[in-house]
Amino acid sequence: MFRNNYDNDSVTFSPQGRIFQVEYAGEAVKQGSVVVGLTSKTHAVLVAIKRNAEELSSYQKKLFAIDEHVGLAIAGLTSDARVLSNFMKQQCLSQRLTYDRAMPLEKLAALIGDKAQLNTQHYGKRPYGVGLLVTGVDETGPHLFEFQPSGLTQEMLACAIGARSQMARTYLEKNLDKFADCGRDELVRHGLRALKETLVQDRELTVENTSIGVAGLKEPGKKALEVFKVHDGADVKDWLNSVADDAEAGGETTEGEGMQVDE
Amino acid sequence: MDHRPQAWGRPRDDVYGAYDASYMNTNLPNQHTQSPIVTGTSVVAMKFKDGVVMAADNLASYGSLARFTDVKRLRTFADTSVIGFGGDVSDMQYLDRHLTELGIDEAYQSDVGGHNLNARNLHKYLSKLLYHRRSKFDPLWNHLLVAGMDEDDKPFLAAADLLGTTFTSPSLSTGFGSMLAQPIMRKYVPDEASVENITKEKAVEVIKECMKVLFYRDARSMDKYSLAIVTKDGVELSENKLENQSWAFADRIKGYGTQTV
Amino acid sequence: MTSIGTGYDLANSIFSPDGRNFQVEYAVKAVENGGTSVGIRAKDGVVLAVEKVVTSKLLKPGANKRIATVDRHLGVVYSGMVPDGHHFVDRSRDEARSWRDTFKTPISTSDLASRMGGYLQAYTLYQSVRPFGITAIVGGFDSELEALVDGEVGSGPSVGAGGKVEGKHGGPGLYMIEPSGMYWGYYGAATGKGRQAAKAELEKLNLAEGKLDLQQAVKEAARIIYVAQQDNKDKEFELEMSWISSADGPTKGRHMEVPKDILAEAERLAKKAISEDDDEEEENKDEDKMEE
Repeated sequence: MFRNNYDNDSVTFSPQGRIFQVEYAGEAVKQGSVVVGLTSKTHAVLVAIKRNAEELSSYQKKLFAIDEHVGLAIAGLTSDARVLSNFMKQQCLSQRLTYDRAMPLEKLAALIGDKAQLNTQHYGKRPYGVGLLVTGVDETGPHLFEFQPSGLTQEMLACAIGARSQMARTYLEKNLDKFADCGRDELVRHGLRALKETLVQDRELTVENTSIGVAGLKEPGKKALEVFKVHDGADVKDWLNSVADDAEAGGETTEGEGMQVDE
Repeated sequence: MDHRPQAWGRPRDDVYGAYDASYMNTNLPNQHTQSPIVTGTSVVAMKFKDGVVMAADNLASYGSLARFTDVKRLRTFADTSVIGFGGDVSDMQYLDRHLTELGIDEAYQSDVGGHNLNARNLHKYLSKLLYHRRSKFDPLWNHLLVAGMDEDDKPFLAAADLLGTTFTSPSLSTGFGSMLAQPIMRKYVPDEASVENITKEKAVEVIKECMKVLFYRDARSMDKYSLAIVTKDGVELSENKLENQSWAFADRIKGYGTQTV
Repeated sequence: MTSIGTGYDLANSIFSPDGRNFQVEYAVKAVENGGTSVGIRAKDGVVLAVEKVVTSKLLKPGANKRIATVDRHLGVVYSGMVPDGHHFVDRSRDEARSWRDTFKTPISTSDLASRMGGYLQAYTLYQSVRPFGITAIVGGFDSELEALVDGEVGSGPSVGAGGKVEGKHGGPGLYMIEPSGMYWGYYGAATGKGRQAAKAELEKLNLAEGKLDLQQAVKEAARIIYVAQQDNKDKEFELEMSWISSADGPTKGRHMEVPKDILAEAERLAKKAISEDDDEEEENKDEDKMEE
């Protein structure tokens, strides 16, 4: 029987130069429910689908504020995400304390990337089993970074990770040119439409299962911030209603790679 | 004869009597720096409508000895800020190297488009560093002025001393300057509002006047000094000499040196 | 591969009976899948260039830099696993900093290559770690000027211990470090997927003669990345380049990005050279007429 000898730990290369443990950790991201992030010239937006373990239980949070100007979306192992999010919060605070400035997002992304890389090179450690979207606004404007368990962090214009996220990415790619000049609410709507693409039949976005996070510049070119805020429940109703009737988006595009079904 | 290693190099007990081990008593409190050694005197600085002017002379004194006469006590950071150092010169050199490394670290990122530390960030950092060191009872014996622009491109000027104390004002000076130069500068910029009325030329003139008074009255000063003008376009750093000196009044001063009457 | 199934390739630092460390060889495989990196040591500076394969349309154009500054005068580019490259860069910066702390002077390119060679080699020694999945190219320009020791007083002895070495010193440096920790100095270095084609092009430049100047080297580096990318035409890519000149050159001794206009011109020439190349192939003429 075939057995892969090269996938037991993260310190063994396969003959092709791959590290299977790290690739498997990447699969853990796809077990999580989908999150979408996108940026315009003035705003950075995160939208997410929350899951509940059973009908009567509460929903697992997907979006978190890291600092006034930084927000986080997670897909994968929540407990791993918490380790990274606590680390990011501490790093942001330390920048405020020692320099009196907001942490530059590029630097923040590099810090978690480097932290995660170490787990892929030492025996007895395992890669983080979570993917992140780190977003926010700093001195140089809005940013969005994708973090992968391998430690790879890349700056994106828009991105989606988690279960069935391929459909959302397809939507984002199709509409990419429109995002840059979007206003705040229009950007949120694009996010929600991308999210809708990932839904399996008979499921829909509701005020219970949808989270929206927004950060931005109050005015283009000015420095005043709209600080990152997570909107849940009744707060997302108007946004949901505003995309409720555009059926032309339609979840019928059955491409995608036959990934894990939600729940 | 005692051949144990701990007796090596010691006077022989049988000849000189038992060694008084209390000299090796290590129960004394730890002591770090108790005073500065080689020192620089005043740094003066004032804001004007588009920036800040700062000056400090080139002397490093060893007590009352004018030991080094070409020491530059203003240093720039990232071509956007100026730091003036009063107090211990070796601690200044330590901070200078430290700032060089900080500058290199910051430049890793800023290729992409300007996350440079501005003067406010720099001042915050230095004051934290100074406070950290005084809390270890091992202070860096300096009084710093930090000048530059803040995040809104407004002139920024603030001080930090060896205790980690910070303060800010339209005009600031360290050492003797706080007695001799500060009153002069306050005539022109008593408050933030008045900064708007001061031109660059006027500010330079006032600072030069301060350096003149300081040279005449401060015995630990000299007549060569660095002068920096920082605006949003960068830093102009120049070397100056106090010209047209007049020591005629010295004749009439009594009560110093070998003079007995 | 003969190694598979023998068991000697399942852990790092294990020798096979014929004296090979397979895990290091597999790490090299990771490098060979990465975008091509090139370094050229010209007579008055160094150029680094990398082919950044665009893996997704959603990536922000022009972001995600792959060439890193290690110290003011030092740059690093790498092919292979990008997170490992970041680790390499971080360590390089630590080394450069600790050198400054100790010696009060910037680290030389050769010393940095030596330190980092040692670091990578250490990751081949233990079963508890894996080798780096990158090959790095380190470029730098060691100052030719008389460098003051910070805070120095007087000029010091002229001969003997602490005396100054007569003659020219400093200049451009280029080194390539492999996962095994082995490193060599180069006139022109290439690694990653397109290294074979790139090396062939580099050899044609006769770099050892020391005639190529920095401005020409920028154009050649851009062209070589385009040539090396030819076998992979369908993949979109971004070209990223940096350079380092002497103190009186365009970068004033510092490692920095090649300015946009110069980069654009180099890319234009590269594309032109490629298309001319294609034409020539079609006409079955002798290849490679253009030296420019």
